[in-house]
Amino acid sequence: MNLSFSLLADQFLLNFSYLWLIVIATTIGIIIGAMPGFGSANTIIMLLPFTLAVDVDVAMIFMVSLFVASHMGGGITSILLNIPGNGGSAATCLDGYPMAKKGLGQQALVLSFVASTVGGMVTALMSIFLLPYIARLAYYMHSVEMVVILLFGITLIASVASDNMLKGLIAGFLGLLIGAIGADHIYSTPRGTFGFIELYDGVPLIAVLIGVFAISEALIMMEQSSVLSETGMQMMKQSGWKETWEGVVMSFQRTWHMIWTGIIGLIIGIVPGAGASIAAFVAYQQSRLYSKTPEKYGTGIPEGVIAPESANNGCASGDLIPLLVIGVPGGTTAAVMLIVMTYHGVQLGPRLFIQNPGLGYGVFITMLVAYAVMLFTTLPLTRWVSKLVMIPTPVLAPIIIAFTLVGAFAPRAYMFDLWLTLLFGAIGYVCRKTGFNVVALLIGVILGPMLEANVMRALRISGNDPWVFFSSPVGNILWAALAISLAIPSIVQWRRNRATRIAAA
Amino acid sequence: MTITFDRRQILVGAGALAALGPSLALPRAQAADGFPTKNMQVLIPTGEGGGVDQAARAFNRIWAKYLGANFEYSYFPGASGQVGYEVFVSKREPDAYNILFGNIGPEMIMYATQKVKYKYPEDFTYIGSMDVDDSVIWVAGNSKFKTIGDLVEEGKKREITLSTSRLPHPSTIGALALAEATGMKVRMIPYGGGGPARSAAITGEVDGCATFLSSSLGLGDQARFLTVFNETNRTPELTNNAPPVNQALGTKIPPLSGQRAIAIHTKAVEAYPDRVKKLSDTFQQVFADPEYKTVAEKAGTPWEFIQYGDAASCQESAKEFVELAERFRPLLTASKG
Repeated sequence: MNLSFSLLADQFLLNFSYLWLIVIATTIGIIIGAMPGFGSANTIIMLLPFTLAVDVDVAMIFMVSLFVASHMGGGITSILLNIPGNGGSAATCLDGYPMAKKGLGQQALVLSFVASTVGGMVTALMSIFLLPYIARLAYYMHSVEMVVILLFGITLIASVASDNMLKGLIAGFLGLLIGAIGADHIYSTPRGTFGFIELYDGVPLIAVLIGVFAISEALIMMEQSSVLSETGMQMMKQSGWKETWEGVVMSFQRTWHMIWTGIIGLIIGIVPGAGASIAAFVAYQQSRLYSKTPEKYGTGIPEGVIAPESANNGCASGDLIPLLVIGVPGGTTAAVMLIVMTYHGVQLGPRLFIQNPGLGYGVFITMLVAYAVMLFTTLPLTRWVSKLVMIPTPVLAPIIIAFTLVGAFAPRAYMFDLWLTLLFGAIGYVCRKTGFNVVALLIGVILGPMLEANVMRALRISGNDPWVFFSSPVGNILWAALAISLAIPSIVQWRRNRATRIAAA
Repeated sequence: MTITFDRRQILVGAGALAALGPSLALPRAQAADGFPTKNMQVLIPTGEGGGVDQAARAFNRIWAKYLGANFEYSYFPGASGQVGYEVFVSKREPDAYNILFGNIGPEMIMYATQKVKYKYPEDFTYIGSMDVDDSVIWVAGNSKFKTIGDLVEEGKKREITLSTSRLPHPSTIGALALAEATGMKVRMIPYGGGGPARSAAITGEVDGCATFLSSSLGLGDQARFLTVFNETNRTPELTNNAPPVNQALGTKIPPLSGQRAIAIHTKAVEAYPDRVKKLSDTFQQVFADPEYKTVAEKAGTPWEFIQYGDAASCQESAKEFVELAERFRPLLTASKG
């Protein structure tokens, strides 16, 4: 692959000459990323006439900037309102929202933006210099390996349910059941759809996200006058530039954390069909696993914001690698980008880096520039954006319900989805009131169908031989890592108990 | 051009119009004169960015010039296209402004093998097709299989795995028919989309991929085409001269090509014959426009594949695929009966 510093320098210059476009695209991306129901793929589809009318370099700069910005924007509402803009930012709610409730929303936003930037930039840089090797990872990630990776994410159900294991596991199981609704992955036979055609493609994730998070959160908000505690309100009133700086310092004190969770996102993003949701949940699970204070996860700690945000932005680089290197899109947005590039006559796959290396590597240069632009434009805004939580809930809650219902309707234009969203809103409300963990439910809904698809596919390839799950060296390494990750918390707990007993004796 | 709709349907439509009386007929006629007065709504029964989406956008770009209307798109993937067709039939107005852009082969196999809530041709009618895309089997560029003969020989010793976007697909039937004719063993692995199916073959999760030719042409050296399910290979230079299956193995497998086509509600054919005529006439005009060649090739469809088909040929093709699907039903569905 023809990589040279002059080529990279040229691409940097090209991107800087379109800085205005990057600013526009990233602004659009952040806004749509923060709005549940609106995604980068839909937006690029809507703006397709523009991308087809301009040069392919310009189209790519626009699309890539919008794409990465949507990953960054998703965290904003997760942190401030407990409403994920997309599946990739759902895990950010776990610690982001508790931080906001404590009056640390500004710091949490800064953590999210810096982690997104560092995760995105590190993985973009890795992609530039290690592309041939990183691309090879796709050759080792098949259905069997995906099953184990998804199990990493699903074990998070047990972690988030640790307050009340039984209720947490019931919520997770309910999520898995909901995720199993829809046509089966081999024969397309509908299951659990009750005859509703709207459910044949599975329960729409947006309806679940908006229902169990936004609607139920808005209902809870209505029961109190403010999102913030008394202390939190005082802190927010007094917050200024100092808090932004604190957030930056907190972020860079965890630089290594941002890097390795970003790399998790990159690796998961490379697998076609995997995505930011898995990346964020797996990174959160791994971050918690190797923490010295795992019990603090979920209470509002910086690492709990950094891990999912860095990972879902790392995933953005990973998503584009199969598209560029083997000509196969890794996700929906990449598929739409494929339309544009094919229209412009760009030959994707290995030939891209021989025939048009500037375009191939330019994608990652655009990412670097877009992240830098976003960091400079978003960091100053955190001071004001974070004040959103100071709006009295009697005003905020109806606005949330109205906006998110529009988001629930927008992707498929079904009235059915509105009713479904309200149903999930009611389920979410009951879950919160009765102590069933809605995040556990969501993990089941998001990861369950992917796990099922990969299990069924692996079994079909092997002729229904269950030993297929232990037939690949990479898969077996992942199994060992999964076993270790499940055992470590018990070992740590045993050692702590032992130390306490010895100390008491 | 020849548009051959079911004569009974036309008569029923004409009778219904006559029964409604001249007072209703006048506004309808006026509306038809100005057709189209608003944007056309295109429903695509697969996801954004797929082969049909790309082909539809390329085609409609030119069609808009002749039809005098722009196109708005919506996507309803799921259950091998069943979701899109059911939404189209039950939730879209039968006013000829709503059209479905699909692929006759896979979607008629789906119709024949899944429990659907609509009927063909009572509920929708294909009014024209725009290309003929042959089914193929290919393996990864570094695969040990050099010819289709190698794959068949290996398939006699062990079960060959082939990825496919979905089981109800002409290429799946092609592979199953090949297995039946040669005695090889084959297992089709559906990946729920062309992209993941191609990726699985390139990365070696499966032995090869059974799919439509045009979607795999962009893979370059990563794919080695072994055979084409048609009487001739129309793009030998793009497919490492892969032989037609019958020529290579002496089999008698029928051509298994997909035809991307537009469909409208049969009720619209009955109620708005003049609108349908305008749609059909302008649809055909696109093929003579030199600009279409440019945009079609940009969208990844070789010009050799572009081929106009009228309503009659679409109906014939649909009927053939239903018959083929019936023949291979036990292998394409969960029911073994």
